[in-house]
Amino acid sequence: MKTLTISKNHRTVCIAMMAIGVLSLLATFFGADDELHTRFWTNFLHNSVFFTGIALMALFFMAASITAWAGWYVVFKRVWEAFSLFLPVGLVLMVIVAIGNYVGYHHLYHWSDPESVANDALLQGKSGFLNDNWYLLSTLIIGGLWYFLARKIRSLSLAEDEQGENSFEHHRKMRIYAAAALPIVGFTSAAMIWQWVMSIDPHWYSTLFAWYTAASWFVAMICITILIILYLKAQGYFENFNRDHLHDLGKLLFAFSIFWTYLWFSQYMLIWYGNVGEETGYFLTRIKDYPILFYGNLLINFALPFLVLLRNSTKRRNGTMIFVAVVVFLGHWMDIFQLIKPGALHTAHELAGHAHDGAAAEHGTSVTGFIFPHILELGTLIGFVGLFLFVVLTILSKASLEPAKDPYLQESLHHHV
Amino acid sequence: MSGHYTSPIRDPLIEGNKTYHDITVDLVAATERAPSRAWWIAFGVSVSFLTLGVICMLITIWQGITSWNLNRTIGWGWDITNFVWWIGIGHAGTLISAILLLFRQKWRTGVNRAAEAMTIFAVICAAIFPGIHVGRIWVVFFFFPYPNTRGPLWPNFNSPLLWDVFAISTYFTVSLLFWYTGLVPDFATVRDRAKGLRKKFYNFLSFGWTGSAKHWQRWESLSLVLAGLATPLVLSVHTIVSFDFATSVIPGWHTTIFPPYFVAGAIFSGFAMVLTLMVITRHVLNIKEYITIEHIESMNKVILVTGTIVGVAYLTELFIAWYSGYVYEQFAFFNRALGPYWWAYFGMMACNVLSPQVFWFRKIRRNIWWTFFMSIFVNIGMWFERFVIIGTTLARDYLPSSWSYYVPSFVEIGIFLGTLGIFFTFYLLFTRVAPVVAIAEVKHILKSSGDQYVHGHEQASATAEVVEGSQP
Repeated sequence: MKTLTISKNHRTVCIAMMAIGVLSLLATFFGADDELHTRFWTNFLHNSVFFTGIALMALFFMAASITAWAGWYVVFKRVWEAFSLFLPVGLVLMVIVAIGNYVGYHHLYHWSDPESVANDALLQGKSGFLNDNWYLLSTLIIGGLWYFLARKIRSLSLAEDEQGENSFEHHRKMRIYAAAALPIVGFTSAAMIWQWVMSIDPHWYSTLFAWYTAASWFVAMICITILIILYLKAQGYFENFNRDHLHDLGKLLFAFSIFWTYLWFSQYMLIWYGNVGEETGYFLTRIKDYPILFYGNLLINFALPFLVLLRNSTKRRNGTMIFVAVVVFLGHWMDIFQLIKPGALHTAHELAGHAHDGAAAEHGTSVTGFIFPHILELGTLIGFVGLFLFVVLTILSKASLEPAKDPYLQESLHHHV
Repeated sequence: MSGHYTSPIRDPLIEGNKTYHDITVDLVAATERAPSRAWWIAFGVSVSFLTLGVICMLITIWQGITSWNLNRTIGWGWDITNFVWWIGIGHAGTLISAILLLFRQKWRTGVNRAAEAMTIFAVICAAIFPGIHVGRIWVVFFFFPYPNTRGPLWPNFNSPLLWDVFAISTYFTVSLLFWYTGLVPDFATVRDRAKGLRKKFYNFLSFGWTGSAKHWQRWESLSLVLAGLATPLVLSVHTIVSFDFATSVIPGWHTTIFPPYFVAGAIFSGFAMVLTLMVITRHVLNIKEYITIEHIESMNKVILVTGTIVGVAYLTELFIAWYSGYVYEQFAFFNRALGPYWWAYFGMMACNVLSPQVFWFRKIRRNIWWTFFMSIFVNIGMWFERFVIIGTTLARDYLPSSWSYYVPSFVEIGIFLGTLGIFFTFYLLFTRVAPVVAIAEVKHILKSSGDQYVHGHEQASATAEVVEGSQP
């Protein structure tokens, strides 16, 4: 059983990536930003939400797999365990955003501005849910609960390796926590997505939004799983991860790309068909002002994986899978980007208008970094990828990469599709 | 499908130390013996209900929709409720055949045949409702767009009701093909044991299947292609049914979560009906060794999962209605829970969300009586759900002066009972004519999931561990 050793190279690359991220954030903050630092904060929120979501989806899918008695993924289950343990880091980032609501570091959320709420009956109606206290409190409580579950499953999984017996007592316990994780994550993730993301456009609402966002996270999670495993395999680890495992990850990527598209279509089509002004505004802004992201979203996240991964053979080739995973990962990163940026920009316009005594909305805010990810947004992404990799690799290095006593280990080693 | 290794933690899916021959004998048996008295009684009851349904349908056609208690405010009542209910029930079959096949779920083989058959009968029952609701049944072919002599008169392609026609007819066709494809080798098995006219009949049904390698190869390819086609169909049918409501701007109907939530609800109700049928079938046909408690438990887990997903959707709708700040939306949900039809809403919540939570307990998941009662509960709950969405919402529209209340007429009740009659009549005939469990597919998993082999593996893995442990 091999254990990952983090080489000096790994560490240097991760730190360099994080440095690029920090520099990009600083450059955004001090250089190309408006006085509310909207660009800086949207970039921060965007990436924090994105990677926290990936960690959460890893926890969720792991829990679903354990509950469903799935065996195939066991050879690489440490990867998902490591992803799920990124949760505390993600939560620290989200708590920074939450504290920012109080202190007024940022003005991401219109509902957090007392003056706006005072003049807006709709925001007043929602203030029982959209307020600084609940944002912080729910991030801490719900996030803490997620972390507890991830921690528990991980520690049982490690304990199983050390003290596991033929009665599979650890696995039985793991099933209890995994089963509990499903409804807990299922219910609470929606609440967090509404607060973290949907409330950026505080007047708009869609019942499907939470599932849509979660599907986006999920596909991104599968992409980064493929990339990390193939990289480590090239380094000589995961020797038991074979083409059939890759094939199955490819199937998940394929299937959930279509599922994501299904949710995209359901949400968009129903709002288009209903043609209610309060709802269509959301998409109208995106189609008119963000056309590249709006249409690109479908091309990258649906057309590409659909056409490329339809064949069996492409799901079994490293090169194709890496290509699709990289592009679709970026695609879903941009999907979350377009969920966050337009609303925050609008809020900034409104607040800048207030600050300047009713001055015109176009006053003050540059749109660089909003219509499309700019160089500084990419730099920020690199930084967060570096952080994510650093955390994941560190956790991976703490235990053997392949579990020894998982009841399904032999099934996974002999996996054949 | 891989059968290389089965984890010692998995329980067997075929019990009783069966050989291949035992499987053939056990599963063909029901088609070879004369029906029991219980079967005749059940058949008689079903046909009576069927007759009642036909009479009520004839009244509807003769007299028109006035024989129903719909009114100007409530233009959709039991008809569409029953339509959606039956379509929902028709989801489990294809889910089991296609999606569980893709997920390599071996327990699927015990129940897929009956579930697919049930799907087809349920879709037939569903299709009756739009057919008779048009009033003038003699022009029901207007549903379909075809080159016609009616000048510019076409169905409205922008209408989700027309999309329904396409979705359901496609779904029905593919489900039928899938079901029949699976039956071909099994009919051949029945034929090989038969004599005389019966042999000729089953030979015809099996298309002269010889079991040659080429036949199996073609059969495998066809099954895979149909599974690929059926998978998106499982999602699409109920999605489009949900569009019937969600494309409108009626508060309580116009909500984006409807498509996936309807699909989850459909799977939920479909599994409930499969369980209702399976619990009885396995007992009556004495095939408990093929539809084991493991199968029942797995299906109960699906019930728990989908019931909870539906619960998330209910609460999401409720919460977002408050969150929207839109008074009509808020009223729609207030009215559902506390309006004149409050009992339907509480029936729905109790049967669909609360009661399935008992399946958190393993003992209850593995208890036949609990399973049976719960499956009935869920069937009732899902009927209530559709009634809540349709009846309750329509009863209180924007204009209080047109608010109304609706109680079905005996014709409407009769038609519903009639579809139950049709469903069970078909199902009872099916159990006599075709093997209720897929013989070929069960044989396929014998070596990996038969109880004698599973226990064999346990010992093998223990030795393997010792060998592994001795290595440095």
